[in-house]
Amino acid sequence: MRTLFLGAREFAPFVDLLIGSTRVIGPVAKRQKFVFAELESSGDLRLDYDVTILPPKKVFFPPVQPLVCFDAASVRDCIDPVPTVLLGVHPYDVKGIDMTDLLFRERHADWNYLGQREATTIVASGVQSVAPRAFWASIGTEIAPVGHDAFLTAIDGGYVFEPRTPKGVALARHGAFREATPEEIAAAERANAEAAERCSRALPYTSAEIAERVRAAFRDEAMWDALALDCFSCGSCNTVCPTCYCFDVRDTWNLDQTSGTRSRYWDACLTREFASVTMAGGEKENFREHHQSRFRHRFMRKAAYLNEKLGGPACTGCGRCAAACTADIADPVRVITTIMEATA
Amino acid sequence: MSDTHSASPDGEHRGLFVPREAKIIHTSRPTASEKHFTLQLASGEPLKFTPGQILEVGVMGYGEVPIGIASSPTREASFDIVVRTVGRVTTAINEREVGDSLWIRGPLGHGFELEALRGNDVLIVAGGIGLCPTRSLVEYILDRREEFGRFTLFYGARDPLQLLFTEDRVAWRGSADVDYFETVDRADATWSGNVGVITTLFHKTTSITPDTRVVICGPPIMFEFVLRELDVLGVARENIYVDLERRMKCGVGKCGHCQINDKYCCIDGPVFTFAEIHELEEAI
Amino acid sequence: MAQLRIAFFDFASCEGCQIEFTNYGDVATLQLLEHVEIVEFREAMTETTDGRIDVAFVEGSFTREADRARLQEIRARARTVVAYGACACTGGINALKNHQDDFAEYVYGDAARMPHLRSGTARPISAAIKVDYEVRGCPMSKDELLLVLSNLIHGTEHWVPTYPVCVECKRRETICRYDEGDHCMGQVARAGCGAPCPADGVPCEACRGFVEDANLNALERVLVDRGGLSQRRAVGKSRMFTANPRS
Repeated sequence: MRTLFLGAREFAPFVDLLIGSTRVIGPVAKRQKFVFAELESSGDLRLDYDVTILPPKKVFFPPVQPLVCFDAASVRDCIDPVPTVLLGVHPYDVKGIDMTDLLFRERHADWNYLGQREATTIVASGVQSVAPRAFWASIGTEIAPVGHDAFLTAIDGGYVFEPRTPKGVALARHGAFREATPEEIAAAERANAEAAERCSRALPYTSAEIAERVRAAFRDEAMWDALALDCFSCGSCNTVCPTCYCFDVRDTWNLDQTSGTRSRYWDACLTREFASVTMAGGEKENFREHHQSRFRHRFMRKAAYLNEKLGGPACTGCGRCAAACTADIADPVRVITTIMEATA
Repeated sequence: MSDTHSASPDGEHRGLFVPREAKIIHTSRPTASEKHFTLQLASGEPLKFTPGQILEVGVMGYGEVPIGIASSPTREASFDIVVRTVGRVTTAINEREVGDSLWIRGPLGHGFELEALRGNDVLIVAGGIGLCPTRSLVEYILDRREEFGRFTLFYGARDPLQLLFTEDRVAWRGSADVDYFETVDRADATWSGNVGVITTLFHKTTSITPDTRVVICGPPIMFEFVLRELDVLGVARENIYVDLERRMKCGVGKCGHCQINDKYCCIDGPVFTFAEIHELEEAI
Repeated sequence: MAQLRIAFFDFASCEGCQIEFTNYGDVATLQLLEHVEIVEFREAMTETTDGRIDVAFVEGSFTREADRARLQEIRARARTVVAYGACACTGGINALKNHQDDFAEYVYGDAARMPHLRSGTARPISAAIKVDYEVRGCPMSKDELLLVLSNLIHGTEHWVPTYPVCVECKRRETICRYDEGDHCMGQVARAGCGAPCPADGVPCEACRGFVEDANLNALERVLVDRGGLSQRRAVGKSRMFTANPRS
């Protein structure tokens, strides 16, 4: 597929034409932060964002998602995909989407996720501003981002657009693209390499080393106690994570009190009752009763348990958990470094 | 952008969370808190499953919970579940009567390895409500008795009022097809049988050998003690199957609630060999 | 489904929770009225009842011995009693006065001797009568009350989350108060409200109380280190809605 170029002045008309033809979701400003939201015009799009509060997985797996709709006469799925272009996804978030794609597809394919996923065209974009807690340049480097249809990089004078799939090629029909020159392609490569160098935080270990040592540290209770001392069990590290996909399922009735919805809600394994089961007599058996064990479980999940399946850690280095943790104990760079140094 | 519509999933795929209607054709109340349902799919088809598999059972508007199937797939006309009232969903389920419907998904999960059990001596150790999912295997073995070796069943409950499946137990006691032993932790005036925890039953029989295939299902506290006895008897870990309970929500290996370290109880289990899980710190 | 006869009563409170009930809008209210019959509700109607009630919603804390008889009378004719709002569930903000003697002067100055200000310890109504359900919050969330009603109509318990407000705040992608240079107690506050305050730029005051095993040591540290509060204010801060449970 040929690499294309779109002049800076042609970019806004391209985005506006897209918005005119389909739902377009991209990064927009929310005060001093950024969120993925439906674009009303090209002016909303902020490709210079550093990181969004929530990752773009919410497009396919929203915080609350209807699974089954029921009324007195019927029970049916509520899968209702909307054709969407998801614009401006950073490579670390594309990796996150690759992981949730695999996890929702394996064994029992989950079309409540996959339906919208397959109806979505993803345009990745190079990182222009690096978030302060980001470390994506150094983690899971053996995994390349896959699940995008085109890649967009801002360079002087315009954008280099690399279609990766026929869906990506088709998108270019909405703008005045021309073939990119070798100089423009080189400039894009340079821009993306420089962004990676601006990632100030790093984990200088291989994924295999991390997985092995984190797994081996499971029984080091004293260390986990110390690491998790200030944990609130608030689940913020889970809720903002691009690779977390746990959920709770609950039913609600509509106002008519005869029809209703069975929905799933983002859940968080750090919260106290996540692994608790109600036993006879209303007593509860909590299989991860202490916040230390829940904190540890998260690191096992991110650094070790899923590696075989995913080909690397279930962490993209986006740094959202580190920034979201008000006690500032969730940062994978700090926790994994502590483990690596303690067991060195 | 019409090509983004291309992947139109087929009906089966779309239905991961869509339950099937099952009609209640019989109920009984074996204890104050448990209700035994006999069900048939509204579609009229038999439910195809392996003993040890689970169903997500629910009432629309109230939710669903994982329940082990309590009958054998050899008895195709209907299937059984036993539900203990513990929370809001199980309360709603247990308020349903004959003629009402329950909504089920499944069978789900990994049941008992029938091929590994076939041709061997089998011991089932069931504590409390743990007899419900294992009853499926008990019936299966009794229905295909010639395919198995010596068959021993241990069943323990807290007290006589908690004992389930009265008719079955009468039949098992009088049957030459199963060596059945039962015990209660605490007796009452009506009880003349064995008193003591379930491990006291190991002394009542000599038919457990290192080659016996053992199935354990019961409250978490029971596993530890039973496994200790089996260690003494020299039963290999590969030959011990445990049926574990966790908070399963989705039943299809997604929601994360039933994880035991890196395993999902709902799809990797609920039946595991002890060899598979004995090194998992969170298992027992 | 039979229509439920519901009634609203208030004790020491601002009646803000009752006002919330009038804020559903016409469509929702009309649909709701197909399933419930409101037989007493002083914010919106003049009729009262002394007959049987299916659900009594009680707002406000129990602060005078004389209120006990009125609460018992409500309990005697109500099938289900729902305490709603922080005052009814825990004593709420009213319980702050339990920790000082000069509250009347402090608040009312010269008018402190008005007879209706004479009251005792502010307690939850569960100190006087059995309560079947609690709907916490200051004010309680009208969306949650609707869920409670819906569950009562269907004869089942209302599900209340045990996790903290951060979960609901993040789900709606609100900017963390700490990222705005503010403080917040959402990390330890019981959720169920849908986290409206941080979304409106106001810190969470934990009006539904704290989650179980709340890490208060960490909270105080974070309120000081990141929220910029003094040590004294950090300790006092978390008392606002938990004065009774912690006394």
